[in-house]
Amino acid sequence: MNLILTLIAFPFVVGAGLLWLRPDGLRKILVAGALLVVVGLSVALALVPAPLDLQNLPVGGHAISLGMLAVEILISLYLFYVGVRARHALIVLLVLAQAGLMTWFEFGPGAHAAGSQYLFVDQFSVIMALINGLVGGGICLYALGYMREYHEQAHREVPDRRPLFFALLFVFMGAMFGLVFANNLTWLLLFWEITTVCSFLLIGYTQTEEAKRNALRALVMNLSGGLAFALAIVWLQRQTGGVELQAMLHSPDKALVLLPAALLCFAGITKSAQLPFSSWLLGAMVAPTPVSALLHSSTMVKAGVYLVLRMAPVVTGTKVGLLVALVGAVTFVVGSFAAITCSDAKRVLAWSTVANLGLIVLCGGIGTAEAVWAGVLLIIFHAVAKCLLFLCVGVIEHKQHSRDIESMAGLIVSMPRVAVMMQIGMAGMFLAPFGMLISKWAVLKAVVDASPVLSVFVVFGSSATLFFWVKWMGKLVQVVAPPPRVPHELDLGESIALHGLAAATWLACLLFPLISTHLILPYVAGVYGAIGGPLSQGNITIMIIMMALVMLFPVTFLNRGRGVRVTDAYLGGANVRGSTHFRSTADSVQDVAIGNYYLSAILNEAWLARWGVISSAVLLAAMLLLPLL
Amino acid sequence: MNPLVQVLIYLVAAPLVGGLLAGWDRRISARMQARQGPPILQPFHDVLKLLQKENIVVHRSQNFYILFFLVLVIFTGGLFFAGADLLLVIFALTLAAIFFVLGAYKASSPYSFIGAERELIQMMAYEPMVLLTAIGMYMVSKSFSVSEIASHPTLLVVTLPGVFLGFLYTLEIKFRKSPFDLSCSHHAHQELVRGITTEFSGRTLAMIEIAHWYENVFLLGWIYLFFGSMPWLGVTVALLVFVFLILVDNVFARLKWEAMLKSAWVVTLVLGFGNILALALFSPSPAAPVAKAAPATLHAPAVVTPVPPPAAEPARRT
Amino acid sequence: MSRFAKSPWIIHYDASSCNGCDIEVLACLTPGFDVERLGVVNTGNPKHADLFLVTGAVNEQCRDVICNIYHQMAEPKVVIAVGICAASGGIFRECYNISGGVDSVIPVDVYVPGCAARPEAIIDGVVQALGVLEKKQKEMAALASNLDRTQYLHADKKDAPEILGLQKTAYQRESAAYGDDCLPALKQTLPEIEAEFDHPAAPAAAEPPVAPPPAPGRTVFLKAVVSGKIIGSVRGYAVGDTTYLSRLIVHPYFQGRGIGRRLLEELEKDFPEVRRFEACAGQKSERSLAQLQKLGFQEFKTGPGPVPITWVYLQKERQ
Repeated sequence: MNLILTLIAFPFVVGAGLLWLRPDGLRKILVAGALLVVVGLSVALALVPAPLDLQNLPVGGHAISLGMLAVEILISLYLFYVGVRARHALIVLLVLAQAGLMTWFEFGPGAHAAGSQYLFVDQFSVIMALINGLVGGGICLYALGYMREYHEQAHREVPDRRPLFFALLFVFMGAMFGLVFANNLTWLLLFWEITTVCSFLLIGYTQTEEAKRNALRALVMNLSGGLAFALAIVWLQRQTGGVELQAMLHSPDKALVLLPAALLCFAGITKSAQLPFSSWLLGAMVAPTPVSALLHSSTMVKAGVYLVLRMAPVVTGTKVGLLVALVGAVTFVVGSFAAITCSDAKRVLAWSTVANLGLIVLCGGIGTAEAVWAGVLLIIFHAVAKCLLFLCVGVIEHKQHSRDIESMAGLIVSMPRVAVMMQIGMAGMFLAPFGMLISKWAVLKAVVDASPVLSVFVVFGSSATLFFWVKWMGKLVQVVAPPPRVPHELDLGESIALHGLAAATWLACLLFPLISTHLILPYVAGVYGAIGGPLSQGNITIMIIMMALVMLFPVTFLNRGRGVRVTDAYLGGANVRGSTHFRSTADSVQDVAIGNYYLSAILNEAWLARWGVISSAVLLAAMLLLPLL
Repeated sequence: MNPLVQVLIYLVAAPLVGGLLAGWDRRISARMQARQGPPILQPFHDVLKLLQKENIVVHRSQNFYILFFLVLVIFTGGLFFAGADLLLVIFALTLAAIFFVLGAYKASSPYSFIGAERELIQMMAYEPMVLLTAIGMYMVSKSFSVSEIASHPTLLVVTLPGVFLGFLYTLEIKFRKSPFDLSCSHHAHQELVRGITTEFSGRTLAMIEIAHWYENVFLLGWIYLFFGSMPWLGVTVALLVFVFLILVDNVFARLKWEAMLKSAWVVTLVLGFGNILALALFSPSPAAPVAKAAPATLHAPAVVTPVPPPAAEPARRT
Repeated sequence: MSRFAKSPWIIHYDASSCNGCDIEVLACLTPGFDVERLGVVNTGNPKHADLFLVTGAVNEQCRDVICNIYHQMAEPKVVIAVGICAASGGIFRECYNISGGVDSVIPVDVYVPGCAARPEAIIDGVVQALGVLEKKQKEMAALASNLDRTQYLHADKKDAPEILGLQKTAYQRESAAYGDDCLPALKQTLPEIEAEFDHPAAPAAAEPPVAPPPAPGRTVFLKAVVSGKIIGSVRGYAVGDTTYLSRLIVHPYFQGRGIGRRLLEELEKDFPEVRRFEACAGQKSERSLAQLQKLGFQEFKTGPGPVPITWVYLQKERQ
């Protein structure tokens, strides 16, 4: 019990401390120390035999609730101020609506039923806590070196507000811990709102016009999710008399809790940046890289899919579930195809995040045991691999002053360590026996079992995924003219974070059967009753053989290509100076330049986004209206 | 038959059969063009010659990718003939193709690069249909396992005519035949030399050739699956399909990649997905997966055990 | 016939042909002649091809292209000059822009006469070429299979003729860039090279950057030997704390296999006391310059050489 409370409260305390800590050296020590504690605690949590006794809060639950109400009011006031200052009517309206609703609820009858359990822990929360602690911790560590370089070299024009930055990172982390352990929905909502505010502040960190605009957009979308959340709480309380997550999930009458579940799914969809709300995540790219990594991999968006997956047992087999699944499916397809059209590395990663979250939402909407199993696995693999990729892109951006994928040609020569780690991350994102592909396989099976029609989205989406990842991978290994080696690739914090994450990606792929049997299967079994593994033992064995086979690949590099002759690439016989130049018309000498395909002849990002938004908006509206009918 | 024996037969016989098919292909094509054509054994002469040639590269590591391409293609076929999970087979095949493409990227020459990108586009074109084929087979036979599908009592092609035709369409791409021989063209020297294989020579080129033989045999094996309950019919149709592909190769001009991508997707949506939609709508209980208590061995079906939620299960949609 | 004879793959290049021979080459592929009967494939790609079919005389425009294609073909390879222009320059022989037949640029193995060469003659040429191909393959296999056992030894005067021959082969490529007459390496005679064993030669420039010292420094003359055949060589001599490199040569068949690198390493071992190494190459020898840079040399100055050549001087400090 105390472990969990510490885990939630500790980052908040550290965050408050960091806010007042100016010297860089001290901050480094504090952040590193705090991270050790957080990582230690989350690992300890995973090792402690469940179930923990969660009934006894050290202080009266009611008192804490009142405290939380105060925080909530403060947040509302702040957001109100933000809305007024930005002259953004929608924000003001959303804040007022939510605050009014919650106040009315708090002082209405039966808001605090006796014996309510505020916190709970099961394997799913443990997984989320581990991701948050380990991946989030890695990001904070990375941010130490990154932000110094960011302010001192790359972006001198941005005002240095690092104390605030690190404080927010820790508060974010604490809120995320709270979010995954909260059972009382009002508590959950509070942590939800904290993540909204933190993301708003972090996206707007640079205070440029673009950053401010994108931060406000993120705020509006997340606030609308928050409002849906508040509505769900009120409705649930009116219908069932309680506001507990577990009670709701185990409610005997599913029809009764269907509307709150739909509303919570809506909230989850906004937070996980599904279409039609994807634009806030794409806009969040203006923030420094650690923020993008944090929003994309371990926190924020994961909170959204966490909630959707929690709702899975309620919505499974219903029309609401089908519509949620469709929103996810549409997002998956649109996101994957949109990623093909982009050459900005961060944008590709953002679209791929949106797409992968779509896949998870699809799992949540289908809601069968296998689908949920696949969804949880997706969360794990996506968190580590995507985080690794973001951090790598951050490093490359600082060293090469560009994050265009076209400028990454020959990275394997200029920054070999980063390039290899990116390859690991990408392998984890889509390559056959690794990570995501295992989950994608399970998703496909779950989808075919539940509703074969949805499978068409998965097959088209994954073919597009293949295209944009492979062409990026190819770009990294392709060397036309060997670029000079970048002297100082990584500093210590970055190095620890990247190596750790690369190792984590690798281990997660290798040890996924263990993760499955010890964490995911018990959770799924707890919710759905006993199930056999979605993948049979024989298939897992084949997977492992395949994995071992592919891992042998680097071994071939030991034999440095004996018995071959190195010669120039074929340039129609017009080579000048090896493979890098050729003789062109009028005896001019031209550079060999190779650029990827973006399929602009048939794909258009804006068009895709527009139709994605329209169709998913219709689906979402139907989802919210259906339970009312 | 013991799956291990099947795999062994495949490992030994596939390159022989594949090579003969390739020779047959060249011979039939020549006859269609009123030429005599090379001897049937010509592909073997070619490969044996390549093994003796010098191996020249642009970057030393480009050859490693091809080695893995070959190993993984053989692995894919092995899985298929061992009767493993069909989805797993597809993933292994995709992985193999990715290694091929990465090898061409690594070579870093403009021509191999264009070949690699086009190969990727081809993969994007055929991947959905190939996956839908597996899904269609699963919906009919209730199993992803190749051995279960092969021993399904009915002719799969009867219930999956659209899927079969769609698969046939994608085979044109997979066999690198006109109108879709875009990535390592036999007929487009002027625009992309040899595309994806431009920078490979000697032993490595021989490996690519052998990998294609293995791949072709495996793909024809898949055609056989549609006729699993009548083995002789299956073999005959597989061979007929091969001749049909050669005919199409000689009849059609090469198309642009846009045309290939769009048409492949349309075919996938109309024939493949249409077929699956029809199955889902008209079969008696399409949504309910069938539980099978089979031991989890290498060739066992992927067991998906549905467990009703603890609470009353809501009516499943149909 | 062995495998090579059964599967000849061809690349066809039109130098400055009037297209008469090209049409006849294509005619070989038509049903009437169907050269695919013999396993011939027109690959259009030097990396895959065994036979290099050239039509037309060689002019200034296509010199480099022919060289490039030839060097990008995998061993064993055979060149066939198709038509009288390719064989000797034909009626264009005396033209101001024509350097002659294909053999003015690369070694030709089979000549097919005719204007235009008839398809039957071309096919016959291909069949003749197959014999050459096979012979070359045997020779190459003997050498290549022993490449792992290359020995790096000190050369003596007895080796001078063989090294001179190798030098002329290795510099063939450079001669295309500068013209035949100006390269000292190609003009060197046997007595000159023998003299180098006794006295260090001046660096390959006309005017040496430093005057040779009165007491000549130590000279080292290395050779790379496979199965008794010399396939690479390098010379170096020390002046003060600098070793001057000259004539780092590797037989074109075996270039790009690390033999040059090994020769350099061996040379460095022979001068343990020296920290600085200096080499030079002509400015147009882009390949040699790139090679030297790969081996750790850095350019530090340029200077005049024989008329069309500008020397680039490179140096390397021992780590």
